[in-house]
Amino acid sequence: MVSSATMHTAMAEIVIGSMVLATICAIGCSLSKFLPPSNLNSPSLLVTMDRASLAGSMLALAFIPIAIMTGNLAAESHSNSALLYNKFVYSGMALGFWAAFVIARIRFGEALWEVRQLAMLQSATAGIAFLMTTISASIGGKLSRGESLLDLLPFELPLDSAAILPIWASTTLLTLGILCSVLVFKFTLPKIVRIE
Amino acid sequence: MKRNAFVILICITLILSPGSSVANPGGNGDGNRDYSCGGSCHGDPALSMPSDATIEITLGNEAFSGQAVAIRVTVEGISTPSQIIGIFILGSLNGNSDTPEDHGWHLIQDPNGGSSNYIETKASSSGSATVTWVLLSPESSGSHVLYAEIHHGSYAGDKAFTGLSQPFEVNVQDVPDGLPGLADDWVAPSFRVSGDSSPLTISTRNSTDISVEWMLDGEWNPTNAELSCKEDPIDVCNDWQVSIPATMGEANILYRVTTYNGTFAIEQPWLKMGTAPPPFEGEIWSARAHSFAFALLIISFLVTLQARLYPRDDSNDLDQTQIVTSSEMINSEESPGWLWNSEIEEWVEDPEYQGGGN
Repeated sequence: MVSSATMHTAMAEIVIGSMVLATICAIGCSLSKFLPPSNLNSPSLLVTMDRASLAGSMLALAFIPIAIMTGNLAAESHSNSALLYNKFVYSGMALGFWAAFVIARIRFGEALWEVRQLAMLQSATAGIAFLMTTISASIGGKLSRGESLLDLLPFELPLDSAAILPIWASTTLLTLGILCSVLVFKFTLPKIVRIE
Repeated sequence: MKRNAFVILICITLILSPGSSVANPGGNGDGNRDYSCGGSCHGDPALSMPSDATIEITLGNEAFSGQAVAIRVTVEGISTPSQIIGIFILGSLNGNSDTPEDHGWHLIQDPNGGSSNYIETKASSSGSATVTWVLLSPESSGSHVLYAEIHHGSYAGDKAFTGLSQPFEVNVQDVPDGLPGLADDWVAPSFRVSGDSSPLTISTRNSTDISVEWMLDGEWNPTNAELSCKEDPIDVCNDWQVSIPATMGEANILYRVTTYNGTFAIEQPWLKMGTAPPPFEGEIWSARAHSFAFALLIISFLVTLQARLYPRDDSNDLDQTQIVTSSEMINSEESPGWLWNSEIEEWVEDPEYQGGGN
């Protein structure tokens, strides 16, 4: 038997590892459009990085819900704290950014990197998603060990205070989110075709 | 379909497999525990090693039966990477029923402000730590033995270190009749919520009067606190309300009660009271809904932005062949080879015009 905290750590490591790969490759794909072609900056490398970023982000996206669930089990002793509240919020934001990253790549295809603005948006999405995931993981370290690598930063992130929403406001926000998602997919999906 | 079910089954198995934990390198938290936690890694000869640290117990004041006494434990020469050290105060070394409470003592306050016989603290950089428990002595006078034990980790990370003090004999003396002191069932509050200035309740026995001095942790000059008896005092008063100022942040307040019976006074040990943050009012389900709402809103925003940046296919706007062919064209005798398109109101070339007649 393995403790839920250890299980959560394992899942989080998979998520973080995959995301590091996806983020580096996404930024690499975007940069390759700005750098002159060379032996290093070749079309084959672009294809490899694109596929690696897709594989990494999809793996991370698949494991985020498992990491959240095991984290729920591991956090029973901290069931009511600002840190845990923030961890939920940052995990949700990371999930949102990674889902948007994967959706874009699947909808537009690998030629997405040919369109400069889309490529920049895609790499920025990966970067912010990674930042959200790092903060969320750092809160996990704070909860379990009372310290995290973000303690090394010269400034302090206000993670031990949370902007709390009452349950009715959260539910309203969730309904709004569901409504927005449905409308966005309904009106944008028919217009998008894969870029050839 | 079969493959999906298999994957889902594996995921569910992984999620449900977590169970109990074994090692706790970050400590287990304060609590009431028996010798070596009643059989942890630290008590297992195959997994543990004796610590090099020296452990000494000293008595803060004379012990009278049923009266408060300060027991000071000093640990020196400890070597641990995290500097986390677990310290026990024990009444025996049996592995069960070892807490001082099991041997007639009563814990008023532990060094961390709680009322546990096992606490975790950090050793100084020189590898030493001094902590003080405040206990009520057993009712039975005579000789009583206490032990101190320490648990800590190692640099190699593969051994659980443990250390034990020599038995410390406390000679508990009979109490003179009417000796004033703290009540048997009173436990010193470990924390007050930040900003809370409500009076502190102190229960005593055989006291006609008390005085309370307080100071912030680190200060040297105590201040006398205002106090009042909760009931109408006839001869003695044993329930007191003491006004100690509110604290903020991480401030600790030290206070000492002196109990009087007439002109006879007993000075009790210093007690510590920490400051706790206000209770968190957020709900876990609100956090979950909040989290998924943010996820969906971010997806919606980014998908909209992606659609906006998506390169539009404008070739249909430039190609007006269909408009031209479907429009009614008017021949003009003045301009042979050209047709007037009334829909777009422009002259267009006549595709059927055969030439100028040369």
